[in-house]
Amino acid sequence: MSRKLSGRGKKVTAAVFFFFIFSGLSLFIFLISNNKIRFGYNNDYQPDQPIPFSHAIHVGQYQMDCRYCHTAVEEGRHAGVPSLDTCMNCHLTVKPDSPYIQKLREAYENNQPIVWEKVHLLPDFVKFNHSLHIKALSSRFAESSQLPPSKEQIRKTCTTCHGTVENMEIMYQHESLSMGWCVQCHRKEEHQAPINCSTCHY
Amino acid sequence: MKNKSALSKKKYWLSLEQWSKDKDFQKLAGQEKEFMNPLPSEEEATGLWERREFLQLMAASMALAGFGCVRRPTEKIVPYVKRPDDVILGEENIYSSSYYDGEEGFGILVKTREGRPVKIEGNKNHPLNQGGLSARAHSHILSLYDPERLKDPQRNLFNEVKSNREFIRAQYPEADAEIVEHLKKGKAAFLTGEWPSPTSERLLRNFCNTYSCSHFVWNPLSHSTLAEAQKICYGKTLVPHFDLDRARFILSINCDFLGTWLYPTELSRLYSKGRKANRDMNRLVVFESLLSLTGTNADWRVRIKPTQQLELVLSIVHSLIKKGYVKEKWPSHLREPASPYKTFHMDKSAWDKLISELWENRGQSLVLAGDESSKDSRSVQIAVSWLNHLLGNDGWTVDYVRPYRTWTWADRKVEKLIKELEAGKIDTLIIHKTNPLYSYPDKERLAAAVKKAKLVVYTGDREDETGKLAHYILPDHHDLEKWSDWEFQKGVLSVQQPTIRPLYRTRAFEEALIEWSYLIKGGSGEKKSWYTYLKKNIKYNTEAGFSWDQLLKTGVHIRKSDQREKRSSARSFKSSAFTFIGNFKSQGQNKSDKEYELVLYPTSGLKDGTLANVSWLQEFPDPVTKICWDNYLCISPADARKRNLKEGQIVLLKGGSKHQLKIPVHIQPGQADGVLAVALGYGRERAGKVANKVGINAYPLAEVSKVGQLVSFVSVEMEPTTEKILLANTQGHHSMEGRQIVVETTLKKYLENPGGAIHRHKVFSLWSSHQYPKHKWGMVIDLNSCTGCSDCIIACQSENNIPTVGKDLVLQGREMHWIRVDRYYKGVPEEPETVHQPVVCMHCDNAPCETVCPVAATVHSDEGTNDMIYNRCVGTRYCANNCPYKVRRFNWFNYVKKVEKPLNMAMNPDVTVRSRGVMEKCTFCVHRIRSAQAKAKLENRELKDGDVKTACQQSCPTGAIVFGDLKDKSSEVYRLFNREDSYALLEELNTQPAVRYQVKVRNKEDSGKSHEEDHHG
Repeated sequence: MSRKLSGRGKKVTAAVFFFFIFSGLSLFIFLISNNKIRFGYNNDYQPDQPIPFSHAIHVGQYQMDCRYCHTAVEEGRHAGVPSLDTCMNCHLTVKPDSPYIQKLREAYENNQPIVWEKVHLLPDFVKFNHSLHIKALSSRFAESSQLPPSKEQIRKTCTTCHGTVENMEIMYQHESLSMGWCVQCHRKEEHQAPINCSTCHY
Repeated sequence: MKNKSALSKKKYWLSLEQWSKDKDFQKLAGQEKEFMNPLPSEEEATGLWERREFLQLMAASMALAGFGCVRRPTEKIVPYVKRPDDVILGEENIYSSSYYDGEEGFGILVKTREGRPVKIEGNKNHPLNQGGLSARAHSHILSLYDPERLKDPQRNLFNEVKSNREFIRAQYPEADAEIVEHLKKGKAAFLTGEWPSPTSERLLRNFCNTYSCSHFVWNPLSHSTLAEAQKICYGKTLVPHFDLDRARFILSINCDFLGTWLYPTELSRLYSKGRKANRDMNRLVVFESLLSLTGTNADWRVRIKPTQQLELVLSIVHSLIKKGYVKEKWPSHLREPASPYKTFHMDKSAWDKLISELWENRGQSLVLAGDESSKDSRSVQIAVSWLNHLLGNDGWTVDYVRPYRTWTWADRKVEKLIKELEAGKIDTLIIHKTNPLYSYPDKERLAAAVKKAKLVVYTGDREDETGKLAHYILPDHHDLEKWSDWEFQKGVLSVQQPTIRPLYRTRAFEEALIEWSYLIKGGSGEKKSWYTYLKKNIKYNTEAGFSWDQLLKTGVHIRKSDQREKRSSARSFKSSAFTFIGNFKSQGQNKSDKEYELVLYPTSGLKDGTLANVSWLQEFPDPVTKICWDNYLCISPADARKRNLKEGQIVLLKGGSKHQLKIPVHIQPGQADGVLAVALGYGRERAGKVANKVGINAYPLAEVSKVGQLVSFVSVEMEPTTEKILLANTQGHHSMEGRQIVVETTLKKYLENPGGAIHRHKVFSLWSSHQYPKHKWGMVIDLNSCTGCSDCIIACQSENNIPTVGKDLVLQGREMHWIRVDRYYKGVPEEPETVHQPVVCMHCDNAPCETVCPVAATVHSDEGTNDMIYNRCVGTRYCANNCPYKVRRFNWFNYVKKVEKPLNMAMNPDVTVRSRGVMEKCTFCVHRIRSAQAKAKLENRELKDGDVKTACQQSCPTGAIVFGDLKDKSSEVYRLFNREDSYALLEELNTQPAVRYQVKVRNKEDSGKSHEEDHHG
């Protein structure tokens, strides 16, 4: 038949029970607050794209300037995904037989955009300005302060946040894009970056 | 200080309930008002989640979150196929253009993002508004995206075909064929509004001449009486330009030039130019029937009835003659006014002073009469012209060389049109830019007449009151989609260029005219587009210095010879004009107590009612009454007492034999006894979801004069009913209980000691102050320049994606405007003095809101702004409760969900759209600070003064708001902030606001009590 716990047994059981809950909770809080476990972030997010565009070929192999496609990166808040006519500048003649290039060409001729999956996604309440970050960071890689930033300088700047794009067959998110990640850089004394809430949230 | 006598000396009051110390009010204010209304029930929050459903969904999404690796939400990137040259994603493009709102014109800059207009700003180059913009001009952007706009041309079925639809979609070629068929037969007429576009006018005139169409005009708010009076006096029909900045003494007789009359944005600017507190400060004396915005700014205000206007002007002239100031013979047919000071209930000395002041300032004074809607308004206008002539103002403050542009060629009378329609003389009627079946007083007769026409074509943008009777509606482009040119003032040509490709299948009216004449000619030869016609025929294009490209760039071309400089010689006043002045009735006494004089007035929000379907304007608190979402019958406090009327009580208003309507009462302090006033522009029937059935259409209470001017009934009767409604008033719950809120002084005292009226408090803090390494943003609001026009409210609303909440929520005190303009009355309700005070977030150094936020969602930045972080806010509302300035606004619902497409296109992408349960408030336009900083950084320079302008500052016609960096010692704001006539609101709380006010100065002799008695309730 079933045995009942003695009074002392009940106490011990309760103590063990609460000990595990308490220590579990503490451990959880410790791990969370020290970034040991993280959730809700999207590092390594690598969605399938309508055309498997390879940065490795374009940037790695052919050493193209990032700004050739992402034209607005020095002027606007968005770097911008190139319009199809930018692609067609080369692909009218380069590799025209590839099925993906044909898809691209078809879209161009029908005046239909290619709908890409967004990889680096910030919430709407965060305002990020590419041009300012390019301006501030590229000067750190500058060979000369007089000249406008060179191709190599810009590539180094971009890879600071986007990872080694020149090795990526398919684009993926390199950093977590969490606020903690933003702020750890803003806090560095040499950057002299503002850390007001309204620097990014307004 | 806090003894009983001090309490009883409390001077400022906000509402009549408060003033009368109504017991019920006191009780409510004391106990119940704190929790005025129960929280909205789930049923009220239609379209939102119920709690249980919400919990279920939350549980489900928590479960899903566990799976990881899958990102939600995902977004797509859709790049251009061929990128336009001038579009940079995320950066704005600005086009200079113009806008005419039916009465007032502006040079505007249209800010577009990725090809869609998102904001309208004033064009600094335009000599009229010089950067200022009215609430209506801001709202113009919302009317572009109005969901009720027609998307296709429509053909009216008139229920001939059995169908549940009134209209079906039409095609332009079919419609054109039918119209041309009718036009060929002749007997065609145009009925249009007025729009001062030289090229468009020329096109229409040529069309009418070539195909012998007659042309009629209906503009309910026209200034034809004023123009006609000018013709009678000086021989030329024109609306002169009034140079208020040159006037040191302004006498306004029922003329709301700061609010609604002629070009109020420009006139406010000119007025405030002469309003700077120095020895040359102008003096404004107002005689008026209702409390208008101009009246609230008056240095001295006297209440008169509309029927007394003529007597007033003639009495002034008579006194001038009698005192021997002017050598002029009194016209023999006119009665001589006797003891005018008795008629107008004032001291003899006050009257004498008025006369002597007018004479002392001769040559640099101005007399304005604005009321063109009373029966003897023509006589008043002639008499005023005479008075201005006698005072030597003609050619200086009355600028006839550069008048406002008006039409002179049209046969304006709709009466004649109706007769011709009834006689069958007109078969084809084309209606453009006017909505007569809403705004014409005798619309039953007009409707019956219009029905006799064989073909009615309407170019309105919706199936509105006039559209209902039209065979075809061929919608015109919205002004933001269309080419045009404008000449608001003679010699000032501005261009209107499209800023977006037409959203729907609409067609410019001018394009239609060109198409029709092409088809009538048989469809041969070359067809020009409206754009090429405009470019070729634009006025002044043959002049030296004219360049089309330059015009597009700056938005305006000013003819050299029309630049204003010196005094022009006075015109000679025709003596024949005297015969047109009718005799005044002695004493404006009413026959009985029950008879009232009626005034119909436009409001600065809705004016004639064309923009009624714009929710911003419906929720725009009237600058004086602070009521929105309704029109109402204004009545004086004494009359209300006499008839035992309460605020919101519905009365039956009877005008003539057949017109009566039910309307709620608003007791308006400062209104003349025996006068009732109703606002026009409300009571639309078919304008759209927002405007329909809001308020009451007051047009049927008017008649039409010989020159096509709306004239209100002189006498109406009124019967109280037992019904009552609530009027949505935004002011009652913004009381600042008798503390030093608005500091007012007289010019004399101000000149002796500018800061003398301010009570400085000794305050100390236990805390160390904030460190501001780079910038400290601050603002100064000059209460002396602020007229209270409230344009800033809509500028802010447009800039910051502020939702409108509707009448019910305004009644609960939940309007969302980030800037409000408080209005306080002083003195007795019959003759109050009024002050206006714009209140924004003060961005306090010791901010009370920051210390109580449990989640640090509102924090201080190192640039001195008080940041509101929406994504952190959990909606405790502690901050709002702790804010002494009551500037925080809470999102009780997810308002943005109710924004109908495509209205969402008017949203500013730079500002986060707030969701339910989030607090919000004025941010000092922090996004503008950030863009300016970014721009400066990219250009390798430091920010300079004037780089950052807040939306309210930019829109202010009088430049009352100055914003800038207080760390920059050379900045304008630093200079003003530290001037001795600047003070902080509720300084005694030691919140250390970053906003300061400059004292209001009235140019009058007698002073109030010293500040010790004024404040400390």
